[in-house]
Amino acid sequence: MLKTLATGRGDQVEEFGDGEVIVREGEESREMYVIQHGSVVVTKRIEGREVELARLTRGSFFGEMSLLESQPRNATVRADGHAKLLVIKPGGLLLKIRRDPTFAFEMLQHMSHRIRDLNDRVAQLMHAEAPRDNVRVEMAVLQASTEFSSPMARQTQAGGVVAQPPRSTRQVAG
Amino acid sequence: MITTIEESRLLVVSDVHLGNPLFRSRRPFLEFLRYALANDFSVCINGDGVDIAQTSISRLTHDLSESANYFGKFARSGLRIYYVVGNHDIVLEHFLDDWLVVRVVPFLNVMSGATRIRIEHGHVYDELFVAYPRIYSLFTWLGAFALNIHPRVYTSFEFLNTGITMLGQWRKSWGKREPEPETIPGEAAYFRVAAEEVSERGFDYVLFGHTHKLGQVVLPNGATYINTGAWQHHPYYCEIIDGRVELKRVPTMEEAETTRLSWANLIERTRGR
Repeated sequence: MLKTLATGRGDQVEEFGDGEVIVREGEESREMYVIQHGSVVVTKRIEGREVELARLTRGSFFGEMSLLESQPRNATVRADGHAKLLVIKPGGLLLKIRRDPTFAFEMLQHMSHRIRDLNDRVAQLMHAEAPRDNVRVEMAVLQASTEFSSPMARQTQAGGVVAQPPRSTRQVAG
Repeated sequence: MITTIEESRLLVVSDVHLGNPLFRSRRPFLEFLRYALANDFSVCINGDGVDIAQTSISRLTHDLSESANYFGKFARSGLRIYYVVGNHDIVLEHFLDDWLVVRVVPFLNVMSGATRIRIEHGHVYDELFVAYPRIYSLFTWLGAFALNIHPRVYTSFEFLNTGITMLGQWRKSWGKREPEPETIPGEAAYFRVAAEEVSERGFDYVLFGHTHKLGQVVLPNGATYINTGAWQHHPYYCEIIDGRVELKRVPTMEEAETTRLSWANLIERTRGR
């Protein structure tokens, strides 16, 4: 980390240099980050390969899964160039939402978009006539991405609103 | 619902209050739309564009009918009208969607050039609106009642409100050694605080309306908070061209008539004032 700054509002801002790791897969940290400047790359190790899951730019956020579920980090996030990030600590999320209520709206909007995207990709893969190995890796990536947005996905599936992609995933992958 | 957009040319206005007899904004707004259309600007109406809370349907229809005709022309020219919902038109939350001609949204995140701009009406940061919604509704109703008696009664009501706000600010700062951070004159400090909070999410500019107090303030984190005011006393708008954001004055129809210049030419003349 290049430096840590405190904002006038009591929040923390961190700066990272190009390629620096912000969160590492499997690590037990709980902060959530909002990108103020620059961009980051989200990657995950799948079957020995480093797979890029997403590239996030200014205004996007990540790390909300560990904050909301108290689970280890699901993916690794690195700075792509110089990046400046607003840090939201576990005890600060509700306060942030109280002071900036549309942030909650945008988080839900973002997660809803991810679920829709994943559902589309599941449907595409189920109909794909790709070689079996590729499908298996794709499914593993998909599972990782699904976990990336798991709280809402699980709720939706439990509510029976959408079909059950994880079961189908195992069938195809197996 | 699409709330993140890219626009290279956008004009932002707030609190036009079409239908409200105090604002008399029908003709200026029509000219404004005409100007935007002729100069390839999309338009964002940042809340309280139509005054559903304090006016009658007949007044609203009278003020809106000609402007509504322009909305279709925007769509045909590949331009857009964005309507951010405010508190005087809060019922429009039922219509949050992309209606092809008008996109109704709760807020907008605009990327223009390399500049990231947040456009929001700002009523959700009004402490009275959030903490005491019933009292707020009562005040709105009383305002409508005052308007029906005479618009000047409403103006005195508004004047009283500004006085109370300024008194509150003075009371809060009384005895404090450190000066309070700069705010827009006559506006409660919590709007500036809210703008700073929102800007922490990577915005260069935060645009509010709602308070009817025009002004701009550079926030401690380097972002700029702009309030585009209302079309009652100070008709202003914000011009966004490839990330350059400027607050500009809308000439009144009286000015256009006395100078015998067209409204659009007058806009050119008032640039940078």
